[in-house]
Amino acid sequence: MTETPFLPLIILLTSLLAAPVLFALPERAARLRTGINLGVAALKLVLVGWLSWKVGQGVIYDISFEVLPGLEFKLQADPLAILFVSLSALLWLITTVYSVGYLESGPHRARFFGFFSLCVSATVGVAMAGNLFTFLIFYELLTLATYPLVIHRGTAESLRAGRIYLIYTLAGGLVLLLGTLALWVLAGTTDFSPGGVLEAVVAENRLAAQMLFVVLVGAVGVKAALVPLHAWLPIAMVAPAPVSALLHAVAVVKAGAFGIMRVVYEVFGIETAQALGMTAPLAALAGITIIYGSLKAITQDDIKKRLAYSTVSQVSYITLGVALASPIAAVGALAHLIHQGLMKITMFMVAGNLAEGLGVKKVSEMDGVGRRMPGTMLAFSAAALAMIGLPPLAGFVSKWYLAQGGLDAGAVWVIALLLGSSLLNALYFLPMLQRAWFRDPTDADAPPKQRIGWMLAAPPITTALMVLAVGGFANAPFSPLEWTRFVVAIEYQE
Amino acid sequence: MTLATLLFVVGWPMLIAFALLWEQARPILWRMLPLAAAPALIVGLMLREPLTVEGDWFVLGLTMGLDDVSRLFLIFTATLWIAASSVARHWMRDDPRATGFGVLFLMAMSGNLGLILSKDAMAFYGAFALMSFASYGLVVHTREAGAKSAARLYIGFVVIGELILFSGLVLAATQSGSILLADMRAADLSGLAVALLLVGFGIKLGVMPLHFWLPPAHGAAPVPASAVLSGAMIKAGLFGILSAVPLGAVAYADHGTIVMAAGMVTIFAALLLGVQQTSAKTVLGFSSVSQMGIIALGLGAGLMVPEAWPAITPVVIFLAAHHALAKGALFLGVGAYAAQTGRLGRAMMGAALLLPALVLAGLPLSSGALGKEALKDALALGSEIWLPWLTLALTLSGIATTLLLARAAALLILAPPKVPPARPEALALPFLTLAGAAVALPILWPVLDAALAAPVLAASTGALWPVALGIAVALATAITAHAQKIGPEQFLAGLIAPFQTLSAQANTLWATKRRAARRVGNSMPRLLESHASRWRLGQTAIATLIAAVLIVEGLSVQRTTEDKTPAVLRITPAEELDGPEFETDREIEDTEGVEDAFSE
Repeated sequence: MTETPFLPLIILLTSLLAAPVLFALPERAARLRTGINLGVAALKLVLVGWLSWKVGQGVIYDISFEVLPGLEFKLQADPLAILFVSLSALLWLITTVYSVGYLESGPHRARFFGFFSLCVSATVGVAMAGNLFTFLIFYELLTLATYPLVIHRGTAESLRAGRIYLIYTLAGGLVLLLGTLALWVLAGTTDFSPGGVLEAVVAENRLAAQMLFVVLVGAVGVKAALVPLHAWLPIAMVAPAPVSALLHAVAVVKAGAFGIMRVVYEVFGIETAQALGMTAPLAALAGITIIYGSLKAITQDDIKKRLAYSTVSQVSYITLGVALASPIAAVGALAHLIHQGLMKITMFMVAGNLAEGLGVKKVSEMDGVGRRMPGTMLAFSAAALAMIGLPPLAGFVSKWYLAQGGLDAGAVWVIALLLGSSLLNALYFLPMLQRAWFRDPTDADAPPKQRIGWMLAAPPITTALMVLAVGGFANAPFSPLEWTRFVVAIEYQE
Repeated sequence: MTLATLLFVVGWPMLIAFALLWEQARPILWRMLPLAAAPALIVGLMLREPLTVEGDWFVLGLTMGLDDVSRLFLIFTATLWIAASSVARHWMRDDPRATGFGVLFLMAMSGNLGLILSKDAMAFYGAFALMSFASYGLVVHTREAGAKSAARLYIGFVVIGELILFSGLVLAATQSGSILLADMRAADLSGLAVALLLVGFGIKLGVMPLHFWLPPAHGAAPVPASAVLSGAMIKAGLFGILSAVPLGAVAYADHGTIVMAAGMVTIFAALLLGVQQTSAKTVLGFSSVSQMGIIALGLGAGLMVPEAWPAITPVVIFLAAHHALAKGALFLGVGAYAAQTGRLGRAMMGAALLLPALVLAGLPLSSGALGKEALKDALALGSEIWLPWLTLALTLSGIATTLLLARAAALLILAPPKVPPARPEALALPFLTLAGAAVALPILWPVLDAALAAPVLAASTGALWPVALGIAVALATAITAHAQKIGPEQFLAGLIAPFQTLSAQANTLWATKRRAARRVGNSMPRLLESHASRWRLGQTAIATLIAAVLIVEGLSVQRTTEDKTPAVLRITPAEELDGPEFETDREIEDTEGVEDAFSE
């Protein structure tokens, strides 16, 4: 099937080519910039929709250029890539609308939207990378493109956060480079392929393969915020709200989680990884991260910091589901890639709206905000209850599959882990809801409410409705869950 | 009858809830509130054939439907919600937080109706969670200190209950290979899964030791909310157990023993805790706990002996409906009573309150008595060892209920709860309707489902003495407490004083009679109030009394059944002294071990 083999390349280039244009635009050309931003984002979404349709029909897009003999730059649109590409294309459009509303009156807009565009290109590249070498390129590009976004405000605090972010992610990138080289040397290829490329190596040199697993997972684990590599994430929350939203829901954290999937499923292959004895420790590490992140979240008073630690915890659901080596758990993990993205982006946009509209930045200031911003807080409530795992919201579907997967893999402790995690989720989200809805606003001298425009109000409500929809219609054709089952059938070569 | 119809039944209250956010529509919507549960009642009454409908796209495949059991649950639940909505409409008229209450009230209603119509685990769990979480707002509504702490306790239990339930359902789904509740209750679930389900639903049911949240929450919520919390929502726990636990299919002897023991303790411990309360509604909450203990006896017997379950099911459902109507009426009656300002009105409401109270206590021929007698009949098919104790507990539960209700009545007279200004007759009508339904339940039940009503109608009419004894003990306790309060000598002196002073004061009495009478009249309420706080002493007396009766009756029963028991189980008096149960258990195990060895 060679129908428009360049489609993945075109999708990558839409935002990549938009970036220099956005950089070049003068600061005051607000309308044109917004037009380009939204136009490109919408175009990309349409193209991704088309691509998904084709891939759903069984077409696999594959395009490669030889860089060095035996080393290829390779883009590939397989079902797993589509899962991530469609998430980023969709949320990019929504976040773009939100960013325009959030930043359009601030300084350095050209710079911001330029890097924003680059960041999304990098994410799409990470998703569609056909081998580890290509993955590495976009993974590094992602680091470099997000740094200016994190320090956008230019304050001492954000510069410090940016520095820490760079140290962590560049170190991770360096390790990934070494890992890629090692893989090339050991296996002679860096291609991603279901079932893995390391079967021969494992038979010869088990220890080397085990070390390679640790190196590669450790490298992508930095962005996936696995404990103890997570410290940059809560610090990076000083970034503007739309950046945090994108960082936590799509771009950086998810690139890490997606990297873990690629490494475990398509570099090693799930059976090989299991035979190496590496999946059980990874599952344990994910479990520790889940509980640790939640425990830290409870003690945070800053809303965004609480959400950040919640991300640390929730993203590890994905790692857990991958590491359990059960197809049922894998469905939960992959679906959670989408579900967590929708839930967390809603929450960060709400946090931004609370700060913009009411000047509320702390949990302890949230008394009575439900009555002051009902739509926004309804969106937050839906996302928070989804995180706790109430049906028919998105989080329930992931948890159900993870729990069943745990039983399927014979790991009953997963049930206890999920219970603990849900309990902790309830402990840090329910008090926020209680304050918002069941307490009266306390301080009379609170800053008066600023009207927030539709560009700020509509995005979180839209994503909250999606949280409801992907859970409520999880069994419908083309739902994330259905697609996930399709992907897992491929990865488990069923 | 399609999926759309059932979704409408569930979605209709939700639609009204969302519409309430629109300010202009509120007056009309509040007037419509009693209609929110009307579609559910209509569907329940009209649909006589079992029905299952599917919606593949929803969540992980939605299955809804109605069968004989859920139909009856739907009818009494909807009835209760309609009555409570009619009261809520007036109760909330001038409340500044009326909108919030309305929205959450309707959401809880939607969840409660939804879980009854659910046939798969996801839909059930979702509806159950919606009902439980929305009810937080009903408990906390007044924002008083008591309500806040009750709500905190409530939500803690809800969260833990939901988590336990989630794990129970995940295990059940894995072990049965299906998300349909019907498949779960036909499957051979592991002991752990059943335990998790029992605890998860048991929290909602309020059986001890999972009851802590219940009485404060039912006490703190506004009257219409208490009525549905106590009447309708705790039955969701029972409904869950009936829907998901393989009762009647697999024997779970250990679970059954624990549930039965918990039920026994609950019936009487709720009395001891309840009589110490100082709010009528909290006492009614404890009475609900006590009544759920009775239902737990049935569940425990069913878990133990699956063969007995088909006979127990209809009785348990009947008891649930009976309690729903009677307790709902009592809660609404508390509001209707307190709303009356005149003496005549209060007297009339008080008299009307006696109806559901006596029904609940089990006056002969009432649904309470029929239910308990039918339960005794059904339990006769179960474990022989437990039977005499169960029968005794059921009989004595009449005394417990009477005492609790007497305590509630005393508190209601002395310290009626705060009531918003509302037309008293508007609050009285729903109460009287429910009370009438509770009284007429033995007649209405066969009309709704003749087959399921048969065992109840076949039961004997019950005895009067537990209720009479309860009333006598209540009076005696009041007098004892009075004696304790003023000292025995003075009390006795007070009893003879009239005769001693009669002759001496004969001359002056006539003149001062009117003044003295007024003074006594004024001091009466204060005296009664101090009795209320002194009730603890009386309660010790009750506990001793019950314990004594239990021991005497139990020993005599033991003797009569002795001959029927097999030789291994026969208890010699010596063994009885140092722990007979332990000894017999070991002997049974030993024999089993030997048999196993032989068969291998």
